[in-house]
Amino acid sequence: MRHKAYIVNTGVITAIGNNTQQCKEGLASGKNAIGKPRFLQTHWQNEIPVAEVPLSNDELAALAGVSSGWPRTALLSAVAVKEAWQPYRESAQELRCGFFSANTVGGMDLTENVYKDFKETGTLSDIPSMVSHECGAITELVAGHFGIHDFVTTISTACSSSANSIMMAAQMIEAGMLDVAVAGGADCLSRFTLNGFNTLMILDRQQCQPFDNNRRGLNLGEGAGYVLMMSEKAAGQCNATPICSVSGYANANDAYHQTASSPDGIGNKLAMQQAMAQAGITPAEVSYINLHGTGTANNDSSEGKAIESVFAGQVPPASSTKSFTGHTLGASGGVEAVFSTIAIADGILFPNMRWQTQMEDISWKPVTEMRTGLDIRHVLSNSFGFGGNCSSLVFSKFNA
Amino acid sequence: MNIYIKGAGVISAAGNNSDPSFLAEAPGYDTHRLNAKEPDYTAYIQPMQLRRMSKAVRMGIGASKIAGQQAGIEKPDALSIGTAMGCLQDTEVFLSKMIDQQEQMLTPTAFIQSTHNTVGGQIALLAGCYGHNLTYVHRGHSFEHAIINAQLYLHAHPHHQMLVGGIDELVDSSVKVLTATGVYREGNSTEGILHTAGKGSIAGEGAGFFIASAQPAPGALRIKGLQIFTTKDAALVSEKMNGFLAQQQLQQDDIDLLISGWNGDSRTKPVYDVLHQQFSASVIAGFKHLSGEYATASSFGLAMAAHIAGTGMVPGFCRLGSAPARPIRNIILFNNYMHYFSMWHICT
Repeated sequence: MRHKAYIVNTGVITAIGNNTQQCKEGLASGKNAIGKPRFLQTHWQNEIPVAEVPLSNDELAALAGVSSGWPRTALLSAVAVKEAWQPYRESAQELRCGFFSANTVGGMDLTENVYKDFKETGTLSDIPSMVSHECGAITELVAGHFGIHDFVTTISTACSSSANSIMMAAQMIEAGMLDVAVAGGADCLSRFTLNGFNTLMILDRQQCQPFDNNRRGLNLGEGAGYVLMMSEKAAGQCNATPICSVSGYANANDAYHQTASSPDGIGNKLAMQQAMAQAGITPAEVSYINLHGTGTANNDSSEGKAIESVFAGQVPPASSTKSFTGHTLGASGGVEAVFSTIAIADGILFPNMRWQTQMEDISWKPVTEMRTGLDIRHVLSNSFGFGGNCSSLVFSKFNA
Repeated sequence: MNIYIKGAGVISAAGNNSDPSFLAEAPGYDTHRLNAKEPDYTAYIQPMQLRRMSKAVRMGIGASKIAGQQAGIEKPDALSIGTAMGCLQDTEVFLSKMIDQQEQMLTPTAFIQSTHNTVGGQIALLAGCYGHNLTYVHRGHSFEHAIINAQLYLHAHPHHQMLVGGIDELVDSSVKVLTATGVYREGNSTEGILHTAGKGSIAGEGAGFFIASAQPAPGALRIKGLQIFTTKDAALVSEKMNGFLAQQQLQQDDIDLLISGWNGDSRTKPVYDVLHQQFSASVIAGFKHLSGEYATASSFGLAMAAHIAGTGMVPGFCRLGSAPARPIRNIILFNNYMHYFSMWHICT
């Protein structure tokens, strides 16, 4: 027998807020948080806007109650995990708990600061800044701090990373291998990723305009997003109220190019179709699509066309919340799972900010105003990334 | 768990298993670092594509092709890969240039190939594989998690063939950092790793890829159990092993072969002393003197299990105990990388 995996709580931090409530308010008020970084030290400071979390490492560490010497990705992760996990930590004590965390940069923010010195002088005093360089080291720090140890893993599939951690957590709960899981991911801004994306010429010099005909690229962001998932039995034991279930998930590959999406979004289509099939819903039953929607010419065109084909012209309300948070890379699937959960819990849809002009190659347009008082039953959330990795998740309202 | 291994491909410091002389001769070296002996890839990869590939990508694709050939499968339905460090070489190239050129005049190639899922992405691209594709980057459990993912995937897709692999590459900086932190040591020799202990082990790298399926096949190795844990307490390990044997319904005497991840590190010597004593009636074979130590070295251990099952012979230069040879049915693979431990029950 398979046990459904329910989302009972969320934790998130992005440029628009330090927790679920603040992010919800930010989304509702159209908070604009994309601009010049205060903490990221880069040559591109004045030229390339980013969605930076407006807190220093010391402030993040204080918020999470951990050491400020941790890499920033671990600090962001700890803030969001604390919000999702802490209220149930005690009641989940006797249950089998897993931590599924994704990231792409690991401890690069610290490594890139000491690397030159390390390389030139070979000094060992730089080693402490490099020991948490591995992606897995980030997860290990956070899991250790919060005492989650029955199963702890790190997934890194570029921009789809944390959607995949939610997928695996759901599978392990369904298979009865775990009772409880904290799943999502984190990534901080680093010079490495900023310059990497800059060489690909896909960074917008202005604030991004996903799904707009005149879009110029993406804005990088940083943050962390996690959902707390439980089996029905565990939720009962922990006195937790299910908000929605992770009813469908799929991971497919575009097998087209290392960084670009295929023109028709082959991988995108496969992921969406398989996720809906697994959830046992038809495209017409989807209430909202949280788009991958990075704002690059290629990504939005592929995703737009794939959606048009999968939904046969009847495209449900859809928006890219990356217009608020920037593209938080390995965190984005987790952040957007939290936003999808809010959409279901509160019956609201978030607008796709700064949309002005209809895209020429698709016939539908994203939602451009906040909508409230809705019955959101099924949300489809897309995360597509480098390496052709395409993942889609379906969240279904509890007892829908 | 029931995963059948229908093909194995390994590229390592001890060579690759498409070579008929793989593991035929005792290794001899005096080095602090075991670099992979890479095969001529032109049988597997177009020269144009090969030129652009880093070692991690080459080794991953090469090992996946060997595994596919063994299994007679050109295009797997899905991929599951473990790599603790990812594509270090390209990461370092981009990082160095970024710093030296003060973030200016950079080109994208190294960045594009630096992401941890590059190997998985490239294999999918070359094979035209649109299926499930995941990359685990969880330190010393990266490969084990890829196997657990295979279990989940194959349960849902019982007729699919999944390519599962472990891969890590060495670069100068990683050797330096891991030597400074005590994972690796300087001044090693073959003998040194297997028969003496010191602080740290010998640096290694490699790729071990497997075609996995939920369906049995003649000659396929069967992974019947896998248990993983982390601990810094040596005393806990024996308790864990006894629990695992009980869970697998195995008596001590049922174990024909122990493939031991002993790596010459004095800090885990107490663990392996107890373990080797416990399995003294079984044939014991070490492998870290062949593969070197790296976070996904258990993929070499699994490939060695496949090789031994195939040839029916345990190479003499791997033998650690003195138990007489016996037919091999039940294998326990025990591995650690730092405080990451795994125990495997493998049947021929």
